[in-house]
Amino acid sequence: MKEKDARVEGKDTHQLVMYVEKDDGSYDSIMTGSYLVKNYVDDFWDKKKKIEDEFLGKIKNGEATPIMLYMMLEELTEVELAGRVGISVRKVKKHLTPEGFETMTLRTLKRYAEVFDVPVVNLMQAVVTKKSGLQIRAEKTKNPLFYFLRIEG
Amino acid sequence: MNKMNDLVIPFEHRMFAHCESGTVTGLLNHGGLPLTEPMVFGISSGILFLYFKTPALPFPTFVVRNFPGQMIRGVSRRLGVKFSSAKYRDQKKGEEAIDALLDKGIPVACRTDFYYMDYLPAYMRAHFNFHYLTIVGRKGSKFLVSDCYSTELAELERESLRKGRYPGGSFDPRGFLFYPVRVPQNPDIDAAIRKGIKAACFNMLRLPVKQVGVKGIRLFSKKIMEWPGMARNEDHLSHEIMKINILLEDQGTGGAGYRFMYATFLRQASEKLNAPALREMSERMMLVGDDWRRISIYAARMGKNHDFGETKFRELSEKIARQADAEEKFFTDLARIAKTL
Repeated sequence: MKEKDARVEGKDTHQLVMYVEKDDGSYDSIMTGSYLVKNYVDDFWDKKKKIEDEFLGKIKNGEATPIMLYMMLEELTEVELAGRVGISVRKVKKHLTPEGFETMTLRTLKRYAEVFDVPVVNLMQAVVTKKSGLQIRAEKTKNPLFYFLRIEG
Repeated sequence: MNKMNDLVIPFEHRMFAHCESGTVTGLLNHGGLPLTEPMVFGISSGILFLYFKTPALPFPTFVVRNFPGQMIRGVSRRLGVKFSSAKYRDQKKGEEAIDALLDKGIPVACRTDFYYMDYLPAYMRAHFNFHYLTIVGRKGSKFLVSDCYSTELAELERESLRKGRYPGGSFDPRGFLFYPVRVPQNPDIDAAIRKGIKAACFNMLRLPVKQVGVKGIRLFSKKIMEWPGMARNEDHLSHEIMKINILLEDQGTGGAGYRFMYATFLRQASEKLNAPALREMSERMMLVGDDWRRISIYAARMGKNHDFGETKFRELSEKIARQADAEEKFFTDLARIAKTL
């Protein structure tokens, strides 16, 4: 690839290293922006948002659980999720149903939250607001199940 | 936990195209062996193609490099670098081992789940248990991380590194860490290059597995026709098709434009061995890489525009099949040249 074809300029474009043919004919690395990020990252987030909306709707209607939501968002299979949480696939399948979800122990819920890298409370509620520009973050405490939900803006 | 003193090992942080080749290169350079990333990649026969489907992944996928860990082993075997490595069942002991090495001034590389590396942009983060990085210091409750995908030396909470080193799931790193204990200052690089090229040709052409090498590319070209029937919905199909672009170019195992990196390796090898035939092969490999790039852009556009007619898939499949032919010819010729080096 020629250096000029590899160059992706743009403010705040995620940087990566690529090996190219330089103008003098030598082959070497350059640091450039990501073509994919520059052109398609909005599409990526749109799809994530659609998944979130779809599964929050299903949770609301009692057709899915937050485990299912995060499993879809983080592209994990039941088999992989079971391995990560350290439980059987049969149990994961159970936790994907609202009836099975409510029988889960707090320890297992905490482990799911760790795998998904979200606060435990995110598996029991979704924060919804019509106000834009708010910064919402769950602040950890020394109690692993208790968070301060900080809403600013 | 006892309070640890802050420290930074004078390790030159640099971005590289890929995490494993970059991490190994960084460690070797730190140890006094000025090898480039393409050299590490080529000597360890990093180039490959593998198409596969596993219960651990929600959709079939492919990688265009060798199996994770093989670059470390390849460099070790072919250059005589001795790495010390360990896994720790006990997470606390695993963290203590890092601190003990840092106290001795030793940068230590870890295998982690990419997802917990929260210094990277959110769109990059995916669950993937083969991300390599180097810990080069600590500051308060954080480790200082030299990650090839980060422009700066990154700070990572101990808790996040712990999650990353012990994510569970398939190919769980279980706290895997490694560092060089002996880096030869004058290894026989010429011999290592020859072996690396021969092994790469063997892997691409002759491994008796239909998912691997040129056969793997052909399998991919056939199987992609089945993708529309495997997706959950149109958005899902679009996402998976666009991932072709990610895997071929931007990130992760399979990413980083490996064909371009291999072309650069062949160019450097031609100069090192004074072999003009390898220079010609490097130019050919660059062209092969260009064709892969065209495929990746074609796929990205297809995905973005939800252009999923059978003709489009057929065209994509044919483009991939042509790559199989091109790589078969390329590696057959390279294998012939390798015998004369």
